[in-house]
Amino acid sequence: MSSFLLQHARLLDPTSETDRTADVLIVDGVIHAVEETIAAFPSEAEVRDCTGLVLGTGLVDLYSHSGEPGFEDRETLHSLMAAAQAGGFTRLALLPDTHPAVDNPSGVEWLRSQVGGEGRGKGGSVPQLYQWGALTLGAKGEHMTELMELAEAGVVGFADGQPIASGSLLRRLLEYGQMLQKPIALYCCDRGLAGNGAVREGLESIRLGLPASPAIAETVPLAALLECITEIKTPVHLMRVSTARGVELIRSAKAQGLPITASTTWMHLLLNVTAAKSYNPSLHLDPPIGNPTDQAALLQGIQDGTIDAIAIDHTPLTYEEKTVAFSESPAGAIGLELALPLLWQTFVASGQWTALSLWHSLSSNPARCLHQTPPSLTPGQPAELILFDPQKSWKVAPETLKSRSSNTPWLGQEIQGRVLQL
Amino acid sequence: MVTTTWNRHHVISLADFQPDEYDTVLHTAASFREVLSRRTKKVPALQGQVIANLFFEPSTRTRSSFELAAKRLSADTLNFAPGTSSLTKGETILDTAKTYLAMGTDIMVIRHREAGVPLMIANEMDRLETRVGIFNAGDGLHEHPSQALLDLFTICALIDPEKPRLSLLKDKKIAIVGDILHSRVARSNIWSLTASGAEVHLAAPPTLLPKLFADFVHPQQPFPDKKSNSSTFPSLSLTPSLPHSLTPSLPRKLFLHWSLEPALQNADFVMTLRLQKERMTQHLLPSLREYHQRYGITRERLEACHPDVKVLHPGPVNRGVEISSDLMDDPKFSLISQQVTSGVAVRMALLYLMGSGKS
Repeated sequence: MSSFLLQHARLLDPTSETDRTADVLIVDGVIHAVEETIAAFPSEAEVRDCTGLVLGTGLVDLYSHSGEPGFEDRETLHSLMAAAQAGGFTRLALLPDTHPAVDNPSGVEWLRSQVGGEGRGKGGSVPQLYQWGALTLGAKGEHMTELMELAEAGVVGFADGQPIASGSLLRRLLEYGQMLQKPIALYCCDRGLAGNGAVREGLESIRLGLPASPAIAETVPLAALLECITEIKTPVHLMRVSTARGVELIRSAKAQGLPITASTTWMHLLLNVTAAKSYNPSLHLDPPIGNPTDQAALLQGIQDGTIDAIAIDHTPLTYEEKTVAFSESPAGAIGLELALPLLWQTFVASGQWTALSLWHSLSSNPARCLHQTPPSLTPGQPAELILFDPQKSWKVAPETLKSRSSNTPWLGQEIQGRVLQL
Repeated sequence: MVTTTWNRHHVISLADFQPDEYDTVLHTAASFREVLSRRTKKVPALQGQVIANLFFEPSTRTRSSFELAAKRLSADTLNFAPGTSSLTKGETILDTAKTYLAMGTDIMVIRHREAGVPLMIANEMDRLETRVGIFNAGDGLHEHPSQALLDLFTICALIDPEKPRLSLLKDKKIAIVGDILHSRVARSNIWSLTASGAEVHLAAPPTLLPKLFADFVHPQQPFPDKKSNSSTFPSLSLTPSLPHSLTPSLPRKLFLHWSLEPALQNADFVMTLRLQKERMTQHLLPSLREYHQRYGITRERLEACHPDVKVLHPGPVNRGVEISSDLMDDPKFSLISQQVTSGVAVRMALLYLMGSGKS
């Protein structure tokens, strides 16, 4: 029997709106007691003073990329899980666009064989991995995968992580999807309108001379999709919302009662295109980093609940892949180890958001978007908890990151906030 | 040589160029123009220094001009051409720059088909604490500072050959006509010409001149939403980037037109831009014919301008598209060959200013 007593921790549990200081007793990986002061505890319990630390429910990432299989130079499952753990994530849903793509049950089986048992990694408190099954073969947006078979194989839901251009295919996916009882996540982007855009079109893209993607590259397919959902009523999760107009469309669709949830990424909340003045290729994202008005609207969307969750969309890329011109670099940045510290420092420490509001966006809401019961700080529940020190400073560097890649604009910088070993 | 203070280590963009810096370039270029008129057209100013031309994008005119400028300053020159390089063998652009750094290069003149590469290399050189100066010789659609500075010199030296200076352009009307959206030359020219106090008029169809250009020279509000404040920005202190707009000494005057006539009305100078034929396949224009009919510069169209109007073009010219063929060769109107000549003097001035602090 192993017992831990965590004393004087700031508890954060969005499922019960808890934000208070108390003691927590964990016995054999299960929350045994949560009280103001726990006086009676097993004598062999390890006691830890957590004054100044946050003990929160585990974070849930809606979608991220694994390098393995196919791109192990970028990330292996081992380094991915280590990065997720170092960043406070206890659940991680992986996009299927690996090589080969996860578009049939053997891909799901393979993941399970790599990380053991029920998708839980070997060796204790490592994060639980979930797999999005591809909607289309090879995630290419051309032919439907065997969705029912994939559902039985245990995928968490269905997503390509890539836009599906064909309206007729999208319609049939929504229709067929009605019987799947699993989340369907779609990324709205018209690649024709987006062209080779590397930043969002606007005054700054004009000044920087970078190829730009107009906001309508997101909103035209988004409006069309919402129209389809109005008719077919299949629940859909809208991934990677990145424009002000996109937020507006979703807000009015939700007001009309459409069965949708939405997420944006942590990078789109923290940054806008003015940061791209540095031409740092780590700021080349897909969808591209937005204008200041887009960033402001996304923040508003988080505050009023239009945007349910913050996704990490962790996209590891090697030094060689990213050390090219901004617009020629493959899109994406890593984020699992950086999102919580930077979001906390920027929005919570500054008093703009409550700590619970951040925890809603990173823990309980993403779990609900995955149709899962969110982790909670309730006695009797598994101790799916993380310990976070908002004050601890560290330098973002290849040697301090668990990820095999270090494609982030914060590389080389000192940041505040770190998840501690529980 | 007039003594001058010059603190600029790299020349990447004209967005933050100050009036005294423009004047420094102009009067230094005037001195070198005099040198170039001598029988011995060479000075020992940068003797012993190494200038590398890293042209990742093919170029003949600009590269030749930079090379000649470097040689006239007695610098040793190295030329890099992507066709013969290791770029296709997995070497990154930073590896290439570091190779030339290891050879003892003092100034790298960089051209790349994508925006931002010269700044990326400059940031890397600074991170490595080297003293290498980076000159942007054209990056994607972003900027082409030496072209804008030679255009500025050509115009100012026409007005006052003895003492070319920025203030000569105050209240002059200058039209920039053509594919503004895809032109790094136009972007650099907008910064320099509006800094002079000239009235700058842009003319092109909406597909090549989006309305966004109206605010090009105005400082952007970081956060238009009043409820939010600047603390919404995280502590992302990326490598210092060039501020896009310091308080200009003169209010910048920039006007947009989707037809040619108002831009040309009483114009003192007309700058035309090269139109790439691929714009037709990108659905930006219906045809070259319709473009030339509406936006091509012809002798008749110039009648609306000031009687002494002059025409400039950064080259190479599509004869009969952006400018009629006969006009291009007419010395009464065309400054095109003066631009090429000025180019060497201006580039000598820039390399001299960047290099002279090093010895």
